[in-house]
Amino acid sequence: MKVNPELIDEIKKYGAFDISACFNCGNCTAVCPLSKEDASFPRKLIRAGHVGMEEKVASALEPWHCYYCGECSATCPREAQPGEYMMALRRYLIAKYDITGLSKIFYKTGWLQAWLAAGLLAAFYWLYSSYTGDFGALAGKIELAFPVYVTIALGGYIINMYRHTIVKPLGGIKASLKPAHIYDTLVHGFTQKNFNGCEETDWTRWIAHLLVMSGYVLTLLISNLHLLSPLDKQYVAFGPVSLLVWYSGLAILVGGGIMSSRRVLKSAQSSKFSHPSDWLFVVTMFLIGASLLFTHFLNVAYGPGDPLLAKIYRLNIAIETVWIILIVPFTKWIHIFFRPLAVYFQHVRKEAEAGTAFSI
Amino acid sequence: MSLEKIEVDALVVGSGIAGLQSALDLADQGYSVAIVERNPSIGGKMISLSKVFPTLDCASCITTPRMASVSHHPRITTLTYSTVDAIRREGKTFTAAITRKPRYIDEKECISCKRCEEVCPVFLPDEYEQGMGAKKTISIPFTNAIPQFPVMHPEHCIRCGACARACPKDCIDFLQEPAPVEIKAKAVILATGYETTPMTAKKQYGLGALPNVISPMAAERLLAPHGPYGRVLRPSDGMTPGSIAYVQCAGSRDKSIGIPYCSRVCCMYAIKQAILLSGSLPIADITIYYMDIRAFGKGYEQFYNNARAMGINFVKAKVARITEDENHNPVVRIEKQEGTSGPEEIKHELVILSQGLVPACDGSKFGLGAANNEFGFVKLSDETVSSAVTDGAGVFVAGTAKGPRDIPDSVVDAGSAAIEAASYIRRL
Repeated sequence: MKVNPELIDEIKKYGAFDISACFNCGNCTAVCPLSKEDASFPRKLIRAGHVGMEEKVASALEPWHCYYCGECSATCPREAQPGEYMMALRRYLIAKYDITGLSKIFYKTGWLQAWLAAGLLAAFYWLYSSYTGDFGALAGKIELAFPVYVTIALGGYIINMYRHTIVKPLGGIKASLKPAHIYDTLVHGFTQKNFNGCEETDWTRWIAHLLVMSGYVLTLLISNLHLLSPLDKQYVAFGPVSLLVWYSGLAILVGGGIMSSRRVLKSAQSSKFSHPSDWLFVVTMFLIGASLLFTHFLNVAYGPGDPLLAKIYRLNIAIETVWIILIVPFTKWIHIFFRPLAVYFQHVRKEAEAGTAFSI
Repeated sequence: MSLEKIEVDALVVGSGIAGLQSALDLADQGYSVAIVERNPSIGGKMISLSKVFPTLDCASCITTPRMASVSHHPRITTLTYSTVDAIRREGKTFTAAITRKPRYIDEKECISCKRCEEVCPVFLPDEYEQGMGAKKTISIPFTNAIPQFPVMHPEHCIRCGACARACPKDCIDFLQEPAPVEIKAKAVILATGYETTPMTAKKQYGLGALPNVISPMAAERLLAPHGPYGRVLRPSDGMTPGSIAYVQCAGSRDKSIGIPYCSRVCCMYAIKQAILLSGSLPIADITIYYMDIRAFGKGYEQFYNNARAMGINFVKAKVARITEDENHNPVVRIEKQEGTSGPEEIKHELVILSQGLVPACDGSKFGLGAANNEFGFVKLSDETVSSAVTDGAGVFVAGTAKGPRDIPDSVVDAGSAAIEAASYIRRL
């Protein structure tokens, strides 16, 4: 096995600054309620990081099983922050799976992604404002382009994750076609049920995630199905579309607000250390919710011809554009897909070990 | 009440093995010493231990002669059941304000016949036996206590008067009050010792609520020949435990409970107790969960190797949680690091938490210039030069008051404190 002596320093660039204090006692693995015999973490991965086993770290699925309840960090005798190390590994792995290499650059260079996002937002807002044609129709086309772009980006990630975690370590293309495994994966994907596997369920965090996720999925639905054309017609305050908008906007605002305030107050282990990408994520999320709500409020209150509405709607679309182009495919957002995939790949590995995997 | 005044060369605070040794070393050189102890007997923690590592000598066989020497020494005044309320520096001398707590007996008349104890009808949990045995409301603290005076606990006394009627010397005094004592001394030796980290220090270890998770001091009493049960039984149901585990670093080397330092004695006392346990329970399985074994003193490594050879199971793992099953059997959760590694839960019948050492007394509260280190122990002014000199002139420190250490080290330190104090008094 090839050893990379710089591996631990490389991982530290993604967070986990205290991990060198680890003396390998195993308290973290033993205290972790999600750590299992066949997927035990964090100690093994900390050790692998320290001794430079790069392939082992790159092929690890364990970081995606961790929901960062923070029990390991709270009880670590060395205050080495093993929970934060798992977080850093997730960032490291996202950078690893990213074909473009942009996530790596964004993660390592502090606020670069945020500055770029601000710049792009200004540029798109200016671009949309100076568009003289029918902006409502243009917005419809832009929104239709979003899912295509995201699917391509996500596809790249999934293929690369598969390459690192299955193809390379197992030496070939393996899969499991058992319905139970596929069902298990889908269940994890929709419910993220291991969230509640942590000893003391952090209900605030879970509710914040639920609000943001549901609000966000609905927002996607609204924009991708182009349910909303606020520049063309006036909506009734409590019509079906309006209700969807009110809920998703408020859910994002409240959920995002909880997330941000926890990060400011550092109230839980999982919110003690914030990477710029975390801030960019919650702040942009917050802005999407706020601009969506404001747009719809103006439409309902003053009709589609309102001059302020025209501006805010352009801002709303500009924020969404930046979100889709710069934030969704790079750094934090995609973590929701890797968790269920890791559950599936774990099944594939077990099948492969037993020799029952489907392979090419 | 008249103020009792005592004038001596040196005041020793605390009468554990370090305090006893420095008092003896000073007195044998011709200095007069007053030794103040807050408990009813001198002897400190050591007198309650079973045996000592690595020689397995009987602890009371080493401590009792020193206790006797101190209490009979013509140049040593012993004040037990007395607290040091304040020490003032006045020019080149120190004036200590002491309160003698009332035992509710006339110490001048008492002949230690134990009649009062025999007739007293009220039983209390015995803290000397770590709550495992019972004692009477008026009783001599333990068999080999010095002085052999009974102490009455008025908060539990039912005022039946049985003791007063039984006493042949008529020395029960229900109206006794605390008595102030003033000690003038030229030097002060702080030998205030340690406490073990509380059972409630770590949430994951059950906060002291698991009956079969006990402290090492309780284990010492179980192993002592004159202990509460006379043999090793577990507290919840009196069963003879067949599987016993030690959880190392349960109260030290753990930043999450604020005690990052190594307590230096836990590895060795756990190994010692494990060896003694395999003597008293030959068929019991004994496991020691450790992060790393620190057997650094003379003969310690050999002692550790002997324990391994005896079949004591050493498992490298930090215990993360202790829970219990329906029969109060403690279940420890660890990560096995050998073979197929992963988290694992293992059931035992008795678990001993190897607690660490924390300071028993804040030495800086006397305001004598002797500062504390970051962990609350008395700080040495320069530990490369002297192991007893503090930042306060004329104030010296002995034993675990300056940090965790074992008995041999405490005894050596106590001698060094006595020498430093003697040389200071001479130079005055």
